[in-house]
Amino acid sequence: MSNNEKLSYFLNKAKKLGSNNFNNKIRVAVLSSFTINGLEESLRVKLYEKKVDCTTYVGGYNQFNQEILDSSSKLYKFSPDITFLILDTRSILGKLFYQPYSVSSSERKKIFDEKFEDLKNLIHSFTNQTQSKLIVTNFNIPSYSPYGIFETKVVDGFHNSIKKLNENLTNEFLKNDSVYIFDFNSFVNQYGEKNIFDTKQFLFGDIKISLDYISNLADEFTGYVFAVLGLTKRCIVLDLDNTLWGGIVGEDGYDGIKLGADPQGNSFIEFQKYLLSLNQRGILLAINSKNNPDDALDVITNHPDMILRKEHFACMKINWNDKVSNMIDIAKELNFGLDYLVYFDDDPVNRDFMRSSLPDVFTVELSNDPSQYTTIIKNMKEFNSLKITDEDAKRGQMYAQQKNRQEFERSVTNLDEFLKNLKLKVIIKDADKFSIPRISQLTLKTNQFNLTTKRYQEEDIKNFVEDKNIEIGYAQVEDKFGDNGITSVFILNKRNPKEWHLDTFLLSCRIMGRQIEKCIMQHIISKAKDNGVTTIKANYLPTKKNKPIEDFLPDCGFQKNEDGWIIDVNNKFKSPDFIEVIDE
Amino acid sequence: MSKRVYSIISKVMDIPISEINDESSPETIESWDSFNSYVLLDELETEFKTEFSIDEVVETKNVADIKKYLKKHGIELND
Repeated sequence: MSNNEKLSYFLNKAKKLGSNNFNNKIRVAVLSSFTINGLEESLRVKLYEKKVDCTTYVGGYNQFNQEILDSSSKLYKFSPDITFLILDTRSILGKLFYQPYSVSSSERKKIFDEKFEDLKNLIHSFTNQTQSKLIVTNFNIPSYSPYGIFETKVVDGFHNSIKKLNENLTNEFLKNDSVYIFDFNSFVNQYGEKNIFDTKQFLFGDIKISLDYISNLADEFTGYVFAVLGLTKRCIVLDLDNTLWGGIVGEDGYDGIKLGADPQGNSFIEFQKYLLSLNQRGILLAINSKNNPDDALDVITNHPDMILRKEHFACMKINWNDKVSNMIDIAKELNFGLDYLVYFDDDPVNRDFMRSSLPDVFTVELSNDPSQYTTIIKNMKEFNSLKITDEDAKRGQMYAQQKNRQEFERSVTNLDEFLKNLKLKVIIKDADKFSIPRISQLTLKTNQFNLTTKRYQEEDIKNFVEDKNIEIGYAQVEDKFGDNGITSVFILNKRNPKEWHLDTFLLSCRIMGRQIEKCIMQHIISKAKDNGVTTIKANYLPTKKNKPIEDFLPDCGFQKNEDGWIIDVNNKFKSPDFIEVIDE
Repeated sequence: MSKRVYSIISKVMDIPISEINDESSPETIESWDSFNSYVLLDELETEFKTEFSIDEVVETKNVADIKKYLKKHGIELND
């Protein structure tokens, strides 16, 4: 099914978007080998609806080669953050698309190899000239072949050659952080070749993605924008009755709810399976439900058909409080901004209440048919992330440990005693090639305890590591409940041998409130002292979200002067004695 | 009359219904460019659950032609 809104909606709405004061801004360039009117309009409208200000540049019809190769082209003058290069099998293969068997098998292989080389060189030429991310579509494998049923009997046949071209593309850029391959072939599979390709529209206007599906492609592209801007949602907050299982446990009872065994019950199991797969890649799950906690926990713990268990939830609010206060508590407990939360609730009244009270929470419009829940979650682009690290995969587990920590915290009344008993260990290391992706990720994602909120892509961090005037350190934090992983980063500019400059200092929200930051600062100060430095300079750049770090510099003894904060390295500075610091 | 057809034209071309009549064409409506003519035909096809033939697409010069072809496809336009 295509999007509900027809293309004219996007075309006309795009003209009327007007000015805005959105914080999130993105510059998007679109290059293509065929007519693709309506794509940039759909993209701008969709992003506007998500409060992202999008400025676009659309390359000339089939001009992508020239624009990429010419370093003074309008494309580079526009200086995009993201560039989409949309190619289609027909334009790239030319005559060979129609007559794939007009040449011998070895010639065909040679032509395909050349096409790959050309494209590869073109892409590298792009990445050499700009910092923009490049999203390249791969090639759709047509269902038709002049060989008919014999097509699958040929080595290096028509379809296989395209498949190999796609594989080569993927492999070539597997480890390249500037280039992402968009699986256009899967996009066509999703909606169907005969829907995506409309012969009449093609013959009239060289339209190779039919007008009804342009906005679906724009939808896919928004996923890249969210990821580049760091707008990735991090936690799915779930209602229970009629959301995770059918019926109301308080009324229908443990045995009466629908979970498994029949088509309705299976809808919920299916939904839970998708939620679990997102949890396994680092998206947290939480519960916000008006229920008798004993009834609900009985199902979560004991029901044989439940897929999601207690250990999968980073936070559970099962009580009779109103859902908005519960939501605020969940955000607080997880140390997240509300804009990291996605809310699933079958009840339209609850959804309305949530949307009007907490517009920052993304409340999903859920179908009243539970069999559609999985489709809805699969179509969401908000979980996209440019990088998924091992840390992400462990996140669910880490939050489960966090839940234990919080229970422990509640059991001891004195904060000092709590911190002492945590047996905190901070291991400080210099950045190396294994930690670069995580360091970049932390600078892109950390908002609260972040002194300057400078965002650095992996390429930037790599450059810093090679620059001997710059030092990047990170801290790995352990306690008696487990390893929190790499959760703090600092970047020092050492160009001035007498006064180092603290470019970046951040702490993941996961470990805030344990005075770890002070240990790291002490480490920085003593290191500076050892290197003959007299002062360290730092800046606090306030944002809407980084209030938690506001008092950090004065707390450490930094003095305010006209252009920032400064500390004499000989200042007496006391860091907490209950944390073991290991300098590696 | 022909309210359904007019309202789709109004939506696609982004002009008030009152400015549309059977003689309306790319010559009289500024936003009716070649791309919008594909968009219009596509949205008419969806609305009336029909498909125009390639001849009909080529021959469509104004609103009256659209109505003529819709009638030919058995669509009643008596609203």
